[in-house]
Amino acid sequence: MDCPEIISRIRKEFPQFSPLFSALVYPDELRLRVEPKDFKDTCIALHKILPSPIEALFAVDERKAAQKFAINCVFVSFKERQWIILSMDIPEENPAFESLARSIYSASLFEREIKEMFGIEPKGNPDLRRLNLHDEVWPQGNYPLRKDFKKVQGDVQGEYKFDRVDGVGVFEVPVGPVHAGIIGPGHFRFSVAGEPIINLEARLGFTHRGVEKLFEGKLYPQALRLAECVSGDSSFAHSLSFTQAAEKIAMIPVPKQAAYIRAVFLELERMYNHANDIGGMSLDVGFSFPAALAAIIKEAILQLNEKLSASRYLKGVNCAGGVLTEIDEAKKKLIRRSLKNIQRDFSELVKILNSSVSFMDRVDTTGVLRRKTAEDLGIVGLAARASGIPTDLRKYFPGVYQEAKFKMAVEQSGDCLARLKVRIAEFEESARLIGEFLDKIKPGEINRVELELREGSALGYTEGWRGPVLYWLKTNSGGLIERCKIVDPSFHNWQGLAYAVLGNIIPDFPLCNKSFDLSYSGNDL
Amino acid sequence: MTILLQLALFIGVSPFLSGLISKIKNNLRMRRGMSVFQPYYNLAKLFSKSEVISENASWIFKLTPFVVISSALTASLLVPVIIFSNPLVNAGDFLALIFILALGRFFLVLAGLDTASSFGGMGSSREMFISSLAEPALYLAVFAISLRFGSTSLVEVSQMHTLSASLIVAASALFLVTLAETSRIPVDNQETHLELTMIHEAMVLEYSGKRLALIELSAYLKQMILFFLIAGIIFPIAPFGAVNFTQSFFWLAWFLARIFIIGLIVSVLEVSVAKMRLFRAADFLGFAFVLGIVAVICAILGV
Repeated sequence: MDCPEIISRIRKEFPQFSPLFSALVYPDELRLRVEPKDFKDTCIALHKILPSPIEALFAVDERKAAQKFAINCVFVSFKERQWIILSMDIPEENPAFESLARSIYSASLFEREIKEMFGIEPKGNPDLRRLNLHDEVWPQGNYPLRKDFKKVQGDVQGEYKFDRVDGVGVFEVPVGPVHAGIIGPGHFRFSVAGEPIINLEARLGFTHRGVEKLFEGKLYPQALRLAECVSGDSSFAHSLSFTQAAEKIAMIPVPKQAAYIRAVFLELERMYNHANDIGGMSLDVGFSFPAALAAIIKEAILQLNEKLSASRYLKGVNCAGGVLTEIDEAKKKLIRRSLKNIQRDFSELVKILNSSVSFMDRVDTTGVLRRKTAEDLGIVGLAARASGIPTDLRKYFPGVYQEAKFKMAVEQSGDCLARLKVRIAEFEESARLIGEFLDKIKPGEINRVELELREGSALGYTEGWRGPVLYWLKTNSGGLIERCKIVDPSFHNWQGLAYAVLGNIIPDFPLCNKSFDLSYSGNDL
Repeated sequence: MTILLQLALFIGVSPFLSGLISKIKNNLRMRRGMSVFQPYYNLAKLFSKSEVISENASWIFKLTPFVVISSALTASLLVPVIIFSNPLVNAGDFLALIFILALGRFFLVLAGLDTASSFGGMGSSREMFISSLAEPALYLAVFAISLRFGSTSLVEVSQMHTLSASLIVAASALFLVTLAETSRIPVDNQETHLELTMIHEAMVLEYSGKRLALIELSAYLKQMILFFLIAGIIFPIAPFGAVNFTQSFFWLAWFLARIFIIGLIVSVLEVSVAKMRLFRAADFLGFAFVLGIVAVICAILGV
């Protein structure tokens, strides 16, 4: 889709549309800039014609260079295989914009984030409570992602107000932020009538580290190490998205061999996490034998990772313009041999789960996330596929996946069983894909020279095991990072969990939670 | 003397029974698992620790562990074990045993509510839900046994070492109830760390140190009592009539092995099924209730 085409399509929905700027910056990235007054209507039009939820909405502080804030809104068109980034400029005095939240629900959380991080007011958003900078510890009037932010000033005041459900026999059950077990912190406020859940509100942000701020002013190699640490169980997907964005800015084509190797590691990451979740789901319903088997499978993959890349969690594999880790004949043999054992164990695991009536009774029809709800909330990745939404970046932005004839796993029912089935199908598909890629890997160049960053901005994206991991990167002429916006799938999908558990009983919450298995650190950037 | 001997047997062996079940489960799951003596170490550790008691807790919270341990110890004295009589001969029968155990539970439920923590109330309400379903089945099973032998006295029943259809059905009902009462899968899960799914553990989450040790010990005792009841029915054993050391050794070994066999059955069951959805427990215990009725009918028919 080129610029005139998108403009004419938007005009069908929004006749007054006249962009200030439009360009196909990269083959897969189309940019539009509009007047602030047209921003909302253009977003609504794009949301409708593509159709796409808001994949990302974020601000950039450009006050030093241009006395303005820029707001960018990212949409995706699977049909056209393009990302569409719509932007507008906001004056630095009393910054505000008209909220999209009432028209496009998937904008809500992003607007709250913009408000707390930049102090830009989304006018008309019904919910302006803070997300990550909790009132109890972070004083008002401090906007950390503004460039002139130095240190926190003032005293803390106010406290977070949870949504309340009133009525006879309705109780609130507060859970967390400290949980039993080694997991991240998050507070869950259940409103229950007996056992059934009427409302669930998750309050996150306890591990907010200011990652996006940490990226600023860094050079590429340091920043890459940081990207690997954003969310521990998706470190490869994060580093891959980051490098892709940087490579797009530097316009370095990645060698073919490197692309295969990256795909192999991305699938290995998916496999160990899916095995972990399948085990976690059976453990959460007290079915300990398959849980133990899944733990063995996960450990086998982690050990394979370590043998291949010297890192169990695949850190240090990616580099500028390629990969540092080679896959030679010996490693190929090792992967093939390990995968054979892993697949054998895995089919055993699937057999046990499928033939256990007590297990199926627990997961079937539990925690249903309806397709319409998922679409409105902008649910992405695995959870969306389990609710019948065909979305997978590996299919629509295939790259080397095209050669391996990637098959997407989609389920319709949206319950825990559907999410389990998607995981099982993806695990098996990943194992097949790795085999295909191994056949194609030949000795050859796997990385280009250290890339020189120039000024520019670009979007990097990868289908991690949870869903798409997006990195929007802006660099200055010295190659230093000006702004890095990260969107982890968990950011969208935590809301999906809150809807999926409604009407379920409290003891089923851990199972529903595990079936999504969302990241705290990926959300609390 | 017999009182002390019996108390020593129960307190000495009951943690081992739990340790053994846990060991077998872990081995079945391809894991090494903790030592079978771990429950003893845990108890020793807890007894030497100081406690944290919520400042909102009332006397009920502080008293409950003592009520619970007393009820468990008293109940264990009612089970005929040593020389086929119980130390408190004729002080109580089956019904007294069940009521004494219920007293402990009653206080635990109150204590769960007492601190008004998020999970205590949840645990208490679930415990009452489960026990209101488990107790009728338990009574029916006991009635069937009593009808068969014409007595509710545990001593008399245990001396009749015969097996019949009604007893086997009653024992099955008793076994299902025991799973629920000892918080085993598929009703509850002792091993879980997920507070939201807990039943028994949720109730006692607020306890620590010595009081927790008392509550844990009572749970071990209760488990052993119930196992002994089942073992007494399905593995009847001739009265102690040994004349020499070897004979009495084998008698005692078989005597204890019976409850370990039941422990083995429980372990295998626990790793081979998933926990039921909470409200499915009604079906599960309903089935136990039906078994109880069948046992009573069999007993009336004299089989």
